[in-house]
Amino acid sequence: MAELIQLGIFLALLTVGYFAGSMIERRHYASIRKREREYRDVLAFMVRFPFDRTTPQRAFLVHGTVVVGADYFKTFVAGLRNLFGGRFRSYETLMERARREALLRLKAEARRKGSKMVVCVRFETTTIASGWAPAMEVFAYGTALVPDDGSLSLPEPRKGVSRLLGDGLVRPPA
Amino acid sequence: MSRACSATALSGRRPDAAVRIENRPPAEGINSSTDNPLKELAWLLGGSLAAVIALVFAVSLAAQWIAPRTPYKYEARLAASLPPIATAPDTDQGRAVQRELQALADRLAARMQLPAGMQVRVGYSDSKTVNAFATLGGQTVFFRGLLARLGSEDELAMVMAHEMAHLQHRHASAALGRGVAVGVVLSVVSAELGRGAAAGVLSQAGLATTLSFTRDQERAADEAALAVLAREYGHLGGATDLFRTMANLPGADSAAPQVELLRTHPLTRTRLLAIEEWARRNDVPLDGARRPLPSTIAALQGT
Repeated sequence: MAELIQLGIFLALLTVGYFAGSMIERRHYASIRKREREYRDVLAFMVRFPFDRTTPQRAFLVHGTVVVGADYFKTFVAGLRNLFGGRFRSYETLMERARREALLRLKAEARRKGSKMVVCVRFETTTIASGWAPAMEVFAYGTALVPDDGSLSLPEPRKGVSRLLGDGLVRPPA
Repeated sequence: MSRACSATALSGRRPDAAVRIENRPPAEGINSSTDNPLKELAWLLGGSLAAVIALVFAVSLAAQWIAPRTPYKYEARLAASLPPIATAPDTDQGRAVQRELQALADRLAARMQLPAGMQVRVGYSDSKTVNAFATLGGQTVFFRGLLARLGSEDELAMVMAHEMAHLQHRHASAALGRGVAVGVVLSVVSAELGRGAAAGVLSQAGLATTLSFTRDQERAADEAALAVLAREYGHLGGATDLFRTMANLPGADSAAPQVELLRTHPLTRTRLLAIEEWARRNDVPLDGARRPLPSTIAALQGT
């Protein structure tokens, strides 16, 4: 009897995990695709330096961070997958959504700060929970650039200290 | 798509080396799969179930082979730690029936090669169940329901020799070893399930009426019993009588629940044929003078 109850709970969790997980995934993908179209004018690149080094730029850090958790169904399938090896399909979609979401949040921050160009974008992941409820943080960060219209008054550098210009080049003090 | 948002130089010093930059929507279906995850689940579940079944099967065969080959003293020690099974009702009649059964067992034991150190102990249960069984530690139990239907000592000896053959071949050890080994394997899959299986087998060993023997084990016990019968009585009348008696029991066709012997030992035509075949092969007559039942057991007739 106790085994039957356990099996019932397990099947219920699996069913809830599957249907809730699938619905959330479908909605999330729809939302991701919609916002990717909305933010397509904010460009993000992995290059270390700005493409345009002739125009003075202001540069600042922007980031997007997402914590994703697997549902019971995904975890169970991944657990079985662990026995046989191969593609962890159930986690692949999860991580793809997390990365695209993190990049979108990075772009959202960049746009809010008036930038349409982010360079040196990097991703990092951190496991924050494992076992039956694995969760990962996906963190995207980069350097947002805004053409410097001169409105920002940079403080005079102290003597002997390099001045970091918006073009990313460090020049010796004049 | 916003194309070529900036067409300026990659390097500030070389404005002619222009690069057209753009962000395209990520390609779909490369980094993630659009397959239905239920399909994957079905494959994985099927694969793991097949693996577990194969493992359980292999381990159960191995345990069934190994357990009877371990020294008998381990089985005796395990049986000693459990409540005794071969007991009798504490009445004059119960003790007398047990004495008679034990005497017959001792006589037959002299004609068998029992494992070293095995002392056959026969118990008697005052119950209308038509059955007898053998279990751990050289113990066997006869029910009143069976004794009340036997017509001669030869028939009783056939049942006794059959149960003692199970003891001789350590079939109880094999059944128990198989159950425990399967429990251990299942515990790798699920601790709860494995514990349940192993505990189930061990608690059954405590009651010990439900250790089930395989068809091969029953056949081996039958053959060994026939050999004992031939040596003790010079003919196989007891065996054929027994199976005819059993086949003619009321409810034999439907194997009524109280006729346990029929459920656990299907009395098929092939089994009778096997007796005749064995008799021919070993040149033992199928018929001969029957010995009467001991009076205490004969007194149970029809009860």
